[in-house]
Amino acid sequence: MIEQKVSKLNSYFEEQIAMCNQRNKKLLDDERTDEVAFEKVKANVYDIFRTILSVAVKTGKGDPDAVRRFFVQKTEQIPSSWVTAYDKAKQHNDAVKMRLEQIKLDTIGEIKENFAKTWEGAE
Amino acid sequence: MTEAEAIRLFKCLSDKSRLQILKSLAIEDMYVERLAERLGITAPTVSFHLKKLADAGAVSSYKSQYYMMYSLKKDIFETSILEILQEESDEAEVQAQRDAEYRQKVVDAFFEYGRLKAIPTQRKKERIVLEVIAQAFEYDRTYTEREVNIIIADFHDDFCTIRRDMVGEQLLDRDAKGYWRIKP
Repeated sequence: MIEQKVSKLNSYFEEQIAMCNQRNKKLLDDERTDEVAFEKVKANVYDIFRTILSVAVKTGKGDPDAVRRFFVQKTEQIPSSWVTAYDKAKQHNDAVKMRLEQIKLDTIGEIKENFAKTWEGAE
Repeated sequence: MTEAEAIRLFKCLSDKSRLQILKSLAIEDMYVERLAERLGITAPTVSFHLKKLADAGAVSSYKSQYYMMYSLKKDIFETSILEILQEESDEAEVQAQRDAEYRQKVVDAFFEYGRLKAIPTQRKKERIVLEVIAQAFEYDRTYTEREVNIIIADFHDDFCTIRRDMVGEQLLDRDAKGYWRIKP
């Protein structure tokens, strides 16, 4: 059962990264260079949490609860510095930094939602 | 327009979204949501591009009722490319510009919203950082050690190291009465 969930989540991460790369190419062709960076940031977040999932599976040793706990904990822990950076940027009216941090936060929000749906839904 | 300003402007213009924003602003002044709707990109992305355009001196903003309106800085675009190319740049000016750019790069890397992120290990970089901190001190005024510490603590928690290094770099001097900023 756990293998199915992990495989579903891995496919999700791979699909999202592939979609980012596709949009990336399109934006590059369209000379929208800064928005290319946005897609790279998104793809990086997916990649980080794909790695975290594999570590969670390894450390969880087949226990679905342990895997969920590890993964959920990281989805809270890692973005906390992004929240701080976003707040700091907002305080200083730094729209460039705000946009980049917001992209990371939106992406992790989507990852959390998808993880919860996949992990709970498959049980 | 200096070479550095021209480069910053050209870099900023080499993006389709930003060119489209400027094209819209050439018609009339607009606010973020209106630009987003017109160009089919999100409002935060428009804000991102507007910040870059403002930093390059291409747009300015003003408040109108509830909205922050953005307008094209027409004088910048009235400068012809030939005028920019014909502008003389002597070697001393170019060197000074290079130094200023390097300095700015160090400042951008080590400061975040006015706070020092870390004390540079390279002496050259630390000197630049200490010079920035020294600007917080007035000339012709003697500070107690406590006052010096409080001023430095606004930049970094390790005020002891910074205070000592500022004396070592001859940015501050001291005697039994206190510390003062050394004039260059």
